[in-house]
Amino acid sequence: MNIWELIIQQPVINILIVMSHYLADNFGLAIIALTVIVNLILLPLTMSQIRSSKKMQDLQPRLVDLQKKYAKDKQKLAQEQMKLYKESGVKPAGCALTMIIQMPVWIALYQAIMLALAVAPEGLLNLSKYLYPWQVVYSVLPLNPDFLVMNLAQPNLILALLVGVTMWLQQKMSMTSQTDPKQAQQANMMLWMMPILFAYMALNFTSGLSLYWVTSSVFRIILQYRVTGWGGLRKQAPTPASDSDKKYLKFQAAQEKKSKEDTGTDIVINDNDSSKKGTRIIKTDKYKFQPDKDRERHRKK
Amino acid sequence: MNLKDKTRVGLLVLLVIAILAIGLVGSGCVRGLAPIGWSGGTVSSGTLYVGSNEGRLVAINLADESQKPKTSDQLIPITQPGLFGCSPTGGGGCGAGTQRVAIYGTPVVAGDLVYIAGYNGKIYAYNISNLAVRWVYPREGNLQPFVSGLVEADGKLFIGCSDSRVYALDSTTGDKLWEFATGEKIWGTPAIDGDTLYIGSFDKKLYALNVADGKKKWEFVTEGAIISTPLVNSGTIYIGSFDRNLYAVNAIDGKLKWKFMGGNWFWAEPAVFNDIIYAGSLDGSVYVLKADSGEKIKSFDLKSAVSSQPVIVDSSVIFATRQGVIYSIATGSQDIKQIADIKTDVDGPLTAYEGIVYIHTQQLELQRINAASGTLYSPVSLKG
Repeated sequence: MNIWELIIQQPVINILIVMSHYLADNFGLAIIALTVIVNLILLPLTMSQIRSSKKMQDLQPRLVDLQKKYAKDKQKLAQEQMKLYKESGVKPAGCALTMIIQMPVWIALYQAIMLALAVAPEGLLNLSKYLYPWQVVYSVLPLNPDFLVMNLAQPNLILALLVGVTMWLQQKMSMTSQTDPKQAQQANMMLWMMPILFAYMALNFTSGLSLYWVTSSVFRIILQYRVTGWGGLRKQAPTPASDSDKKYLKFQAAQEKKSKEDTGTDIVINDNDSSKKGTRIIKTDKYKFQPDKDRERHRKK
Repeated sequence: MNLKDKTRVGLLVLLVIAILAIGLVGSGCVRGLAPIGWSGGTVSSGTLYVGSNEGRLVAINLADESQKPKTSDQLIPITQPGLFGCSPTGGGGCGAGTQRVAIYGTPVVAGDLVYIAGYNGKIYAYNISNLAVRWVYPREGNLQPFVSGLVEADGKLFIGCSDSRVYALDSTTGDKLWEFATGEKIWGTPAIDGDTLYIGSFDKKLYALNVADGKKKWEFVTEGAIISTPLVNSGTIYIGSFDRNLYAVNAIDGKLKWKFMGGNWFWAEPAVFNDIIYAGSLDGSVYVLKADSGEKIKSFDLKSAVSSQPVIVDSSVIFATRQGVIYSIATGSQDIKQIADIKTDVDGPLTAYEGIVYIHTQQLELQRINAASGTLYSPVSLKG
């Protein structure tokens, strides 16, 4: 037995079998329980990544400022960005790291599911070498693949769709609003690409693995909700103003203030103008120019 | 899009491809996820019949090695290839048997027909002369996969199926005579003694059925699933269970005589010689037990699991480990010696004919070993 089998595959297989026994011989429940345990073990890492994403979102205005400030010096920009990340405790590679750490668990789980469910006779034969010498392990094998109306040893379309949907939801919730359109485009690409990829993989592998992915995504959706609320699923609120935006807002406020002072000024209509064909002539007092009220009316429109 | 943006997009695509690749390679290329088959051989009139891993029946003339082996047409799989040409249930990787029908049961010869059952849920009867199909059961559609082997007696064929049923067919026409439902799937080959058929099921029970009509005579409950083939000897049934016990059960009434616990499953049918049981276990040992009491006489540690059914050649019992090391146990002195190492996986039952042991390997070959001297002869290719 190699190291992979000894420290990953063998424990996962035996834990799954034992849990299945204590969960009414239900392998589906065992997979869900194992997923929760795996996610609880990875909780510090996941939380760190979620918080990091949130911080990243908060940093966006400052990052935009840096981009503008060092637009011509890419090296300096990179240095300043890294400095900002470091000061704020943001780990840009956190998401990928969490995913990479989970990959051995997916693979071990997939192997465990295929072996424990005796999909192929060779699998059951190979399973024997991974079993701990516990009577409970031997007496429950091979496991029952039925869960709800699914056969966990076969691919399942509904579960594959659920994999895609829950993964999209989770990613959408954790998405940081990008002020840079190029980054926004890339984030959007990943938002769709990963769920589609995983749903496609789920269609080609056992639904037991899909059950793991769905449970894992639901777990992370709950975590994400507790930290950031609905996050990217909310209707996008206006992004906090950057320094340049603030300057513009100041300018706009000044203009509005100035306009208010002109309230009541009559609109002078020249006869020359009114004689033009198709021009409507306004003569009553109620159409006096009232800048603040007119602006409000215009906004409502 | 400038160069940096292109690089970033490229990296994202690479990440996605890497995830896909690791997922597929890591999960697909696991040994044992795809059905490959481990058919043993049957010798009749100097010809050895074996089900190859290509999904064909192969006939090898042992008397005249110059003759090229005859092969049947390839069995037709029931599932369409999934992702990257592999069966969905076989993983996305590189299972060798994904587009071939695995054959687990040893062919059976009766009269002018030879029979095999495929993992595609069909039973085939071939003419011995030209390996052309005489009949197929079921004629249309497929049953669940057959892992069990066939047994023939008095013009009837018997087999257990993954759909949990035992089927009895007319061996001449392939018509179904009766069926018997157990509680779970059946992978073990039945054994027949007189008018009784014995077969184990995943439902942890050993059944004794009336050969004539399939009526149950008795059942014996163990604590684990049963997939091994029962051995019938002098009114006793010997069978291994997933609870790690080898059971000795009275053939008349199904009462327990004794049981012996090993370190792992007794996967293969044991051998008996002079009222001594030789049982190989997946714990890597061969246990030598007294047939009447189950008392252990001796055990041999072969350092690798034993899943293949042993054969008796003259007065020696020949065992093969899963790693391909071949041992001979002298039944007189109960001494063991290693006679060969074919350095390839061995899962299927061994076959012996005129002092030569034939071993079907996963390399589409039939290894040949002289049981007395251990001499390895050049293997016979089973490629169609």
